[in-house]
Amino acid sequence: MNKPLIKNTGYINWRKKLILILIVGSLTTLGVGIICLNFGVVSINPKDIISLLLNGTQDKTKSLIIWQLRAPRIVLGALTGAALSTVGGAFQGILRNPLADPYILGVSAGAALGACIGIALQYVTGYILASYLPVFAFIGAMLSLYLVYKSSKISYSANSTGLLLAGVAITFLFSALITVLLALSRRELHSMVFWLMGDLSTANWKKISIIILPVIIGSSMLFFSSLDLNALSLGEEEALHLGINTGKLRIRIFIIGSIVIATVVSFTGLIGFVGLIIPHIARLLVGPDHRIMIPIAAFLGGIFLILCDVLARILIAPTEIPIGAITAIIGAPLFIYLLRRKNK
Amino acid sequence: MTNYHHFLTLKEVCFSYAGDREILSNINFSLPKAELLGIIGPNGSGKTTLLNVISGILKPDKGEVFLENQNLNHLSIEKIAKLISVVPQNTWVTFNFKAKEVVFMGRMPYISRIKGESLKDYEISREAMIKTHSLSLSENNIQEISGGERQRVFLAKALAQTPQLLLLDEFTSHLDLNYKYEMLNLLKNTLKGENLTIISTFHDLNLASIASDRLLLLNNGKIEKMGTPKEVLNEENLRKTYKAKPILINHPRFNVPQVIM
Repeated sequence: MNKPLIKNTGYINWRKKLILILIVGSLTTLGVGIICLNFGVVSINPKDIISLLLNGTQDKTKSLIIWQLRAPRIVLGALTGAALSTVGGAFQGILRNPLADPYILGVSAGAALGACIGIALQYVTGYILASYLPVFAFIGAMLSLYLVYKSSKISYSANSTGLLLAGVAITFLFSALITVLLALSRRELHSMVFWLMGDLSTANWKKISIIILPVIIGSSMLFFSSLDLNALSLGEEEALHLGINTGKLRIRIFIIGSIVIATVVSFTGLIGFVGLIIPHIARLLVGPDHRIMIPIAAFLGGIFLILCDVLARILIAPTEIPIGAITAIIGAPLFIYLLRRKNK
Repeated sequence: MTNYHHFLTLKEVCFSYAGDREILSNINFSLPKAELLGIIGPNGSGKTTLLNVISGILKPDKGEVFLENQNLNHLSIEKIAKLISVVPQNTWVTFNFKAKEVVFMGRMPYISRIKGESLKDYEISREAMIKTHSLSLSENNIQEISGGERQRVFLAKALAQTPQLLLLDEFTSHLDLNYKYEMLNLLKNTLKGENLTIISTFHDLNLASIASDRLLLLNNGKIEKMGTPKEVLNEENLRKTYKAKPILINHPRFNVPQVIM
């Protein structure tokens, strides 16, 4: 029988593809990270950096700048970008909505309210609470997660709209409370606004050691739901017909994704735009198969945020621009350019 | 006890959405293997709801659905997915997958989340695309092909699921004339030869009459009449359900009734 052939590549070999993506992605991220060690207020020439990385150095100041200031910032940027992009991609999948981002289900608003309360208390009580802000933020995030989960259960609709509406409603409620706090604040206003726009400048190895496991474990768990997310894009009922318990899938991804995001934003504040746009860029580059798209988005997000943070540091140094502004200023035109190219 | 000769049996099935008015009331029928049953009835008579109850995604308020003596209520949706597949009316896909990737999704109930597809899954999907004349579409993006082409891709996906019972929701609605007959031929001959049982809802009575071994006429959620097209499509039944006074003629080639206004 004369069967026409279609290429026997791609789908079956996705594991080979994945390994390739992991290797190339890690090496590229590492390379970008090392190059970005060069940039900062104090200029250190690349030769010094290489010898410092390879042999250590006698110059205490340079070593301190590289290891305690710049390197943690780059690692935190990579982890944050990867987490935001992975969760953004997964949320777009479960909500079947390309406009979804990691913040749409309310967890960010909870974290923001928690952090703002912490900052306000600091000024009211006179205690220095700066190092406890992540705790406040995380508690706020968990509170919003709980409220969104409960309200999505009350709503009768058994589909993604219920979850989405609950997330939007809780976000509005918390944002309103934040606005009240901002209106009442005086000296603390600046800290609050800066937190809300996101900030990697307080990065250190301790913070990284706290968020690295939740990010890696959570993202892997999301990754292993990729096939289910693929099927869900056929529609709620179609996914059920393919044997996927869509209700459980949605709740699982909502909870895992929210915990990952809560952990990250508690330390970095709300860095916007990355989690919305990077999954789209990944889809434009490699197609919508979540098994490929999610790891690509993770690496792209990490690299994108490292680069944005460099710009935030050096553009008008020594003053820093909030990184959340940079991500949008760079990201929006880039995205429109890619869309145009794709449609040609 | 259920009858052993019957592949699918519905017993006193009632369904309503969240305690609203009953959409299906007291549905009883059974179906032997390798038969094509057409469900017809006016808009809102419960055709799609009946299909969703049979596919297991809607749980009946009362009554039971048996598939080869297994109560569907007691089966997990993973198990049901290996027995029943569905071609939906709405074939929109959120993200722009390639057509072949959509067909591969039919293998979902069999695929390990860690290993991914095997060569066998790949072969089965390709066979399904060949059968449904959708192989030439395999590299096309699903959002960029026509409604009729998407229906053929979705049929390939449903066949790749290797079900025993295939449910079609107004499958032929977007198909061109030539594909309508080709797909019906495929369904009637090839698939029934492979012992597949098919239930399809139809909007088009004439097509239903040609395609189906038996017809089930629904009216306000109740079975008005079930039988061969000749038994079901008569003036009295149509007047009762469709409130119309059509003319019935005999199809010269297929020797089944055809309805004209």
